[in-house]
Amino acid sequence: MRDDLRKLAVALALLIAPGAGAQQARTPAETVDAFHAALRNRDTAGALSLLDRGLVVYEFGAVDATAEAYALRHLPFDMDLAVAARWTLESRRAGGEGNERWVLSTYRVTGKQSDGTPIDQTTLETVILRRVGGQFRIAHFHWSTSDAAFQARTQRERKP
Amino acid sequence: MRRAATLAICILGLAAARAGHDDVRVDPALKRYAGQITALGAPDAQGRIYSFRAKRLPEAPGGYVPGELRGWRLTLLAGKRFANAFEVRGNSATEIMVSERDGPLNGVAVSDVFVVEEIAVER
Repeated sequence: MRDDLRKLAVALALLIAPGAGAQQARTPAETVDAFHAALRNRDTAGALSLLDRGLVVYEFGAVDATAEAYALRHLPFDMDLAVAARWTLESRRAGGEGNERWVLSTYRVTGKQSDGTPIDQTTLETVILRRVGGQFRIAHFHWSTSDAAFQARTQRERKP
Repeated sequence: MRRAATLAICILGLAAARAGHDDVRVDPALKRYAGQITALGAPDAQGRIYSFRAKRLPEAPGGYVPGELRGWRLTLLAGKRFANAFEVRGNSATEIMVSERDGPLNGVAVSDVFVVEEIAVER
């Protein structure tokens, strides 16, 4: 009996814990915008809570095969860039049906690097979202850039 | 097994992870350390866990600076508590204790990875 009460107390604590469960319903485009806003607001848990656990990320030729890999390897740097640079939405198309949707966006990304050199490029973003339990979550990101020189440099420098 | 292998690949690649957006050199948005749980702390009388032992990622001699992480935000990046955040109550070189304000850590497991960031938990 006492063990059962203890398990119940722990289960209730997990249910009311912040994070993945505490979200309002969003459209696919709103989910994408919320992800960028979370990065800009330095809200790691908020950004992660919008990701499907089956996430795969293609980023300028690099691959994160899982949500955990992206969270550990690249999300911190994406947050740094989101804070340091201004992302202006230039175009967007959305489609799909049912529980599988896509959102295509282009952004003008401007700002300054640590050494003062300017950042000014167009970032192309493909997002595939999956609805589970009434919530759209991001199952795939693909980022690339219209700056051919930047794309070539990052792919040349990237490690496997 | 697959999850453990995937995490191992992530961790091995952590030091060489700069690519993509992060190839643009910008200042860090906040101070942060990644880590991996190596052992769970002892549960209290109600079975709640509020601490664990950990190592830094990439591994750093000496581990964490004792006391440095107090008040920082800890976010789980893997496992059952993925995307859950906690306020750090204190730390030693190899142990991290969280505040009771955000509930217990129950559900975390050895090998789960996390990040601690110099920013308060938003409430």
